[in-house]
Amino acid sequence: MKGNLNLIIEQSRLLKAIARNWAFCFLIFFVVLFSFTGKGFLSIVNFQNIVHLSVIAMFMAAAETFVIISGGIDLSVGFVMGLSSVTAGKIIQTLFNSGNYSVGVCILIGSVIALVVSLIPGLISGIMIAKFKVPPFIATLGMWGITNGIALKICEGFPVASLPDALTKIGNGYTIYFKKGSGINFFSLPEGVANNQIREYLRLIPISFIIIFIVIFVLRHILNNTTFGQHTYAIGGNEDAAIRSGINVQKHIIKIYMLSAFIAGMAGVFNVFQTGIGNFTTFGAMYELFGVAAVVIGGASLMGGKGRLLASIIGVLLIAVLENGLLISGVEPFYRYIAVGFLLILAIVIDQLFPDLF
Amino acid sequence: MQSLMTQKNKDLLLKIGKQWAVIFFVAEIIFFGLTAKGFFTVNVFQIVLFFGTAVMLMAVAELFVIITGGIDLSVGYVMGLSTIIATKLIVYFSASGMPEFWGIFFGIIITLVLGLIPGLINGLLVSRLNVPPFIATFSMLGISHGVSELLLTEGAAKNLPHLANVIGNGHFLYFVKGGGFSFFARPEVARGVKVFELFPNVVVITLIIVAIFAFVLSKTVFGIHTYAIGGNEDSAIRSGINVKNHITKIYMLSSLLASSAGVIYMLKYVTGKADAGASLLLDSIAAVVIGGACLTGGKGTVWRTILGAVIIAVLETGLRILGIPTFDKYIMVGVILILAVLIDRIFPETTYKE
Repeated sequence: MKGNLNLIIEQSRLLKAIARNWAFCFLIFFVVLFSFTGKGFLSIVNFQNIVHLSVIAMFMAAAETFVIISGGIDLSVGFVMGLSSVTAGKIIQTLFNSGNYSVGVCILIGSVIALVVSLIPGLISGIMIAKFKVPPFIATLGMWGITNGIALKICEGFPVASLPDALTKIGNGYTIYFKKGSGINFFSLPEGVANNQIREYLRLIPISFIIIFIVIFVLRHILNNTTFGQHTYAIGGNEDAAIRSGINVQKHIIKIYMLSAFIAGMAGVFNVFQTGIGNFTTFGAMYELFGVAAVVIGGASLMGGKGRLLASIIGVLLIAVLENGLLISGVEPFYRYIAVGFLLILAIVIDQLFPDLF
Repeated sequence: MQSLMTQKNKDLLLKIGKQWAVIFFVAEIIFFGLTAKGFFTVNVFQIVLFFGTAVMLMAVAELFVIITGGIDLSVGYVMGLSTIIATKLIVYFSASGMPEFWGIFFGIIITLVLGLIPGLINGLLVSRLNVPPFIATFSMLGISHGVSELLLTEGAAKNLPHLANVIGNGHFLYFVKGGGFSFFARPEVARGVKVFELFPNVVVITLIIVAIFAFVLSKTVFGIHTYAIGGNEDSAIRSGINVKNHITKIYMLSSLLASSAGVIYMLKYVTGKADAGASLLLDSIAAVVIGGACLTGGKGTVWRTILGAVIIAVLETGLRILGIPTFDKYIMVGVILILAVLIDRIFPETTYKE
């Protein structure tokens, strides 16, 4: 039966494409479904919100994609993000309060330092995994605790608040503001319009879209078109063969974990822009696990060697649409945890049934 | 002669490597004894064990799974779910007129039985559908979190009968100087007379459970099969072990232990909380790894795991006495975890198997 099914799918290109991209088909299915069940689901504003709110999850999934393709796992991304967010927040706050620097300089310095700091946990877990052969699960779980502790120490247990307003103006800004009769404005509301009138304007293309689009584009290029990406797949597929074909596997693995931590760091900096405060990560957030979930839903295998960046992003969107749609349809939001659980199991079962698809 | 010396040195080094967790534990106790005022009292040790109960149970749950080469991410939220189920059931029973004791008794029994379900599903997914343990148990983490939040939408889990508090925060033995002993119930004494409290009930219950599972792992066929599966699954299959059933049982056992941790939490704090065990994932896995187990399976013992759990519990209490915020605990646990694995790498012959 299973063999027959495989054969049928092998023969039909269309079916093969559907089975290969089942997450995308599910995404479309849910969008259509919720358009009927949820009032207000099918609107540009709502779709923009869904993507805007899942940008952080997309960063996480992108980070996990690289690590998982190489055959590892990175549990520390969520707390590295918290560390980076708190670091950026603290530095911006300190510089801003000292009054010696302009807002732009403060934000720039804070973001750059946070990004550099976020490389450190990646470097350490990379060295432990590559040189000392510590299992990735343990090494990054250790980092999970360490980065969380350091982030909490930096901010002393409270979010870093009272940062310049410019942050949220960028993080939550839109490219186009449009109102019938008063024309189009780019990047900010027209002069003299108060913030409470913002609802009268149709806002299009959040700035976060542009940021995440560029990031994904660059990362996808790295993964698909460069030697770095090729080697990542090679190491995940068969580490021994990769070593024999002359790849410096240890160095490469260190780089992958640094890249993963760096992407998590970008998520942290973005988080400061989005919320206007430096947030530490709470235990319940489980960014890392939802990141892994999105990657697995996107068809990657935890054994390594398999995975596509865009498919992981589809995985994130699937979870986000499910969450948003259930909420708008009036279902208790907690069903989302349950739904993600089922999606994950489904992903694995599909992967097991058709191992040759990806 | 020279080579003998180096051999001797090597043996010594190996011995130290083998016992590093014990050495670390002693060093930790001495450190806190010197720096933290009032650390060396019976009360503090009881507090360490009292707050360590959850970590101990979760670590033993994790140990069984890790010995078979798997991992169980769901223990924390299964524990949370159990606190809520137990609280709601007991409140319901006592509202329907059942005597307090029997309400608590049946509430706990039903909770423990229900606590087997997540493990059953995990086990079936892992053993029959070949879902990687990481994914299967993560799905179960989400599902149990969702279910507990759903249960909480009808109102918080609280208002347990007073008896729960008496059991959870009471002690096994009380004595008054010159006044004799009394079991379970605090003696009525005049104001100002000091009552010594020994053996908190929850610690006694936890240690009994742990002892049972230590016996199961080291002395029964079930335990031997567990090691066999973790050591080499293929040869376990060939030697006639029903590996699929055994793995299902292991995950059921793990979630049973997690839900007993939930019941104990419910007795201690007299409430139910969805994220009661959320932060314990790191602690429990760390305890297992400090205890010398290895994530690839086949290694680890219960008592060493308990030592790992106690190391973490002492750290937590010691830091609290020193007035250092708990943030440092996360850092320390992370560092110790990594240290444990590094030592395992440097002395590969040192790890344990019974």
